[in-house]
Amino acid sequence: MSLQSCYRELEGDYNDVIGRLRTERLVQKFVFKFLDDPSFDLLCRSLEAKDYDEAFRASHTIKGVCQNLSFNKLFQSSNQLTEALRSGWTPEAEGLFAQVTADYNQTVTAIKALQVENGVV
Amino acid sequence: MNDNKGYKPNILIADDSEMNRAILMDMLESEYTIIEAEDGKEAISILEKRIDEISLVLLDIVMPNMDGFGVLKIMNQRKWIEVVPVIMISSESGASQVERAYALGITDFISRPFNAVIVHRRVVNTILLHAEQKKLIDLVEQQIYEKEKQNDMMINILSHIVEFRNGESGLHILHIHTLTEILLQHLLHFTDRYRMSQTEINLICTASALHDIGKIGIPGEILNKPGRLTDEEFSIMKTHTTLGASMLNDIPAYQNEPLVKMAHDICRWHHERYDGRGYPDRLKGDDIPIAAQIVALADVYDALTSERVYKKAFSHEVAIDMILDGQCGAFNPLLFECLSSSADTIQKELQNSTPNYANKKTMKNIVKEILNK
Repeated sequence: MSLQSCYRELEGDYNDVIGRLRTERLVQKFVFKFLDDPSFDLLCRSLEAKDYDEAFRASHTIKGVCQNLSFNKLFQSSNQLTEALRSGWTPEAEGLFAQVTADYNQTVTAIKALQVENGVV
Repeated sequence: MNDNKGYKPNILIADDSEMNRAILMDMLESEYTIIEAEDGKEAISILEKRIDEISLVLLDIVMPNMDGFGVLKIMNQRKWIEVVPVIMISSESGASQVERAYALGITDFISRPFNAVIVHRRVVNTILLHAEQKKLIDLVEQQIYEKEKQNDMMINILSHIVEFRNGESGLHILHIHTLTEILLQHLLHFTDRYRMSQTEINLICTASALHDIGKIGIPGEILNKPGRLTDEEFSIMKTHTTLGASMLNDIPAYQNEPLVKMAHDICRWHHERYDGRGYPDRLKGDDIPIAAQIVALADVYDALTSERVYKKAFSHEVAIDMILDGQCGAFNPLLFECLSSSADTIQKELQNSTPNYANKKTMKNIVKEILNK
């Protein structure tokens, strides 16, 4: 699987990210690095603990990273969740968190498949 | 390893996301050394230690512990924002957030998702512009310093001619300059009755060197008489005040120059007394210009602590006690306060006072004042 088809799988915009970050080497490096980003874990743990300030920041970070990498689908759901958590808990947050979780898993699955193809793992 | 070739300026990246820092780092690390901070607090503690080494701050808004606005607020309080340019990078793109960031002094705002080439260009431009501006400020500072040094040198040469005739050491002029500056700074600290800029303070200190130029017109046998002066001789001696003043009045050019006016006042009135029993005009209290009052006090202190043909030098402590005790003339009570509170500084500064004319720090203040006008 190519980087381009990985982007198709996770519903991102490959042309946009190459246009901004310039090289495939750089994009791939950070796509792989996305798996190490602790923000999603932090989001889950802070929602569990009802620490909505922390949850807001975690969601905000996911949104920022997705924006940089043009992971459009996960960007959209995490962006909505960020806004829902901006001033503390709101009822929409629950459904949005479920959406973020689904999109996150879709993204991670696509990236892991790319790693296997490239013999990274 | 041992690469001393290209100098790499330091950039501080403050962002809580390691991914975000890594992306920026990848784009910039070939030309810059990257210092990373995980939140606002860490950024502040790095700035605290290394402010002079950092050429640019790339600052995120949403961070734990202290956010980007918190960092900017502290950078404003401590005036770091005047020294280091800040580019804010955030996905917060609401106009109010961006406006707030600009109001807090950032140089540029970059929204996510960013384009590598654009970020790179903006970073390079900001650092270059800032370096250019700093170079210009240093240049202006150097020019002003050179000019002031020449001025001071001319004035010092001329006043030393007078001093030599007097048989006094060349240090007197230097001491008066130092004492005048210390006393003035303390006075301005005590009261806001006399407001003045650093330029005016400098003017008074420079003019203080001319306080005794009238002595050039006093016959040498009176000036250097080892014994006590007769009444007649003393009344001639006293005319050095009015002589100095009229010498300055008679200079055909420069009549409206602040330096000439200031020097005139100091020459004429540095032997007046606060109680009205001085000479030549018997001015009383605040009718005596404050510059002349200060030079008078400086003159008395330096006379006491120097050896003369007719007396030995008193120690610093004895001189201060004698003046505060009222044995050496009547002075403005405020100046007594300045003298007693600055006694330690005076002793220290006079010990290392070397003829470095105007010091660099004073120059820096003047340049700042000019640039802020």
